[in-house]
Amino acid sequence: MAGEDGKDKVAPRTTEGQRKLDRRDVLMGLSTVPALGLFGYAWRKQNQVKQAAARAAVAPREAAAAGDVREVNVALLGAGAQGQVLTEAMQRIPGLRFRAVCDIWTEYNQRRVVNTLKRYGHEVNGYVDYREMLDKEPAIEAVVIATPDFWHAEHAIACMKAGKHVYCEKEMSNTLEGARNMVLAARETGKLLQIGHQRRSNPRYIHCHDKLLKEANLLGRIVTVNGQWNRAVAADLGAPDRYAIPQATLTQFGFKDMHQFRNWRWYKGLGGGPIVDLGSHQIDIYSWFLGSNPTHVTASGGLLYHDPKTHEWYDTVMVIYDYMTPAGPAKAYYQTQTTNGSQGYFETFMGDQGTLLISESELNNPGSIYRDPNAPAWDAWIQKGYIGAPVIPEAKDEEEGASGAIADVRESAAPDRHKVPVALTDPYHQPHLQNFFDAVRGKARLNCPAEVGYESAVAVLKVNEAIESNTRLAFRPEDFKVGGEA
Amino acid sequence: MMAETRASHWAMVGITVMRVLVGWHFLYEGLAKLTADSWSAAGFMKQSRGPFAGFFRWLASDPTMLAYSDTITMWGLSIVGACLILGLFTRLASLGGIGFLMLFYLCNPPFIGYFYTIPSEGSYLIVNKNLVELAALVVIFATGSGTFAGIDRIVHGLWVRKPRLARA
Repeated sequence: MAGEDGKDKVAPRTTEGQRKLDRRDVLMGLSTVPALGLFGYAWRKQNQVKQAAARAAVAPREAAAAGDVREVNVALLGAGAQGQVLTEAMQRIPGLRFRAVCDIWTEYNQRRVVNTLKRYGHEVNGYVDYREMLDKEPAIEAVVIATPDFWHAEHAIACMKAGKHVYCEKEMSNTLEGARNMVLAARETGKLLQIGHQRRSNPRYIHCHDKLLKEANLLGRIVTVNGQWNRAVAADLGAPDRYAIPQATLTQFGFKDMHQFRNWRWYKGLGGGPIVDLGSHQIDIYSWFLGSNPTHVTASGGLLYHDPKTHEWYDTVMVIYDYMTPAGPAKAYYQTQTTNGSQGYFETFMGDQGTLLISESELNNPGSIYRDPNAPAWDAWIQKGYIGAPVIPEAKDEEEGASGAIADVRESAAPDRHKVPVALTDPYHQPHLQNFFDAVRGKARLNCPAEVGYESAVAVLKVNEAIESNTRLAFRPEDFKVGGEA
Repeated sequence: MMAETRASHWAMVGITVMRVLVGWHFLYEGLAKLTADSWSAAGFMKQSRGPFAGFFRWLASDPTMLAYSDTITMWGLSIVGACLILGLFTRLASLGGIGFLMLFYLCNPPFIGYFYTIPSEGSYLIVNKNLVELAALVVIFATGSGTFAGIDRIVHGLWVRKPRLARA
């Protein structure tokens, strides 16, 4: 027993054998309470530091926009995973006031976003039916739509007709008719309609397009393009039973059951499958960078792996587009598969003077440009800051570098690699949303207006058609026009 | 009675300091998860390896079970942490903490022949920090340090009034 003097005994006892608390017991008993107080102090300080960091991140933009940022009342229509990503990005954009959140999954998505926004001081109301929201919230000026694809047309058109500007997630619609009606509604109402191909506002993509390709023409004649989005197998999305949406609501909004509601991207008539979800981002870039729309498409795809009962669209798609660019013909390959995530996602543009490897990711393939050995020197562009100095290959890779193999003289020498010196430190969707809200305030033009989104939808939706018909399909130039253009 | 297993006065002071530190760590781990925008144990459990990998992956893949796991982890860690700092229900809190750490340990055990990319800040062979913290909680449990310095001492004095013979 410790404490020879007996002071450490749990409690002194009376002769009746009962314990009594003495002063020492109380003091010892409370002796560690200050530690909790210290924790509380440290916790508060830590949070203050975090908040200061968050404020500092927004401050330059706020300062830049100070004075002339008109507050815009916003609603979110569709508060699922993508809606939450957009909300997070929007919270970093100055001058937005959230007014309403509409989602049929009240117990989960809607509540989560509403609670988050309230925590940040937005007075938001939750709605299940978008029509009720439009009726009751006349102050809303702009609606951000992140509902499943098959709802986009109805939602976007109704919002524009109610006088709201619309930011609508891609794919613009799951049908060309829907997409066309959206373009027409935007023209009729004169409202802004930005489609969520967010790479169009990404500073790195803009730098590559405007500076490296158009101004410096570093790639020379682009003849081939290659790109992919490979994703590892992922379990179907589920939902805790206690949060399930009542069947009547699901049926009313076009879903067979909770599983279909959560996994709509895989169902025909609701989404477009991986080629539309993933491919449309990158195929949009093909057309943008090549400066033209494709003339033909050949595609092969199938449901090779996933359970056909819960997956209707193709889990594996390989596509070849033909282009007639202003510089000459080009071919572009694209693949998406959802059974292996090897190499992730990227786009590669290959010209006779160089190669551009780019992706939206800041971690994997954030932007490299390779100079073909026969191309003119790029030093002037390095000095201008358009590209980085050539990256010296690291010599430590024993397996590849020091293999002792003798290079064949006919083998192409490895091209120099230069980094594209533009990074996006904000969330990926923030610049595109910023562009939209700048346009709402009359200070910018949309980077991806409805017409551009429509062209992209024409190119992408045709892939599924080509797979079904198993033939090479042709595009006519007028296919990319809605009609009635000025 | 605690006293039989209790160490010397300064040893008990040391164990109490250790208890507060472990509690601090638990409390912050819990509160950080509670206040994060969307924390979930799914990522951690999906990476599970070793003999119990099947169990953890099942937990992560079933939305209902995952929701329970997340809630229990967030609140459990916070409550265990606060109790350890205060020395309140110390033995129960120690057991709870041991349970959590056992689960964390078994989810990604640093067994021979396993190579992890997480955690990234150290090198471990069989013993990792989870196991060390678990061992610390075993000591705290065994010595019942809350009745030495902690609210348990007051609780004991107030509520545990079993007649006993006073020791000489």
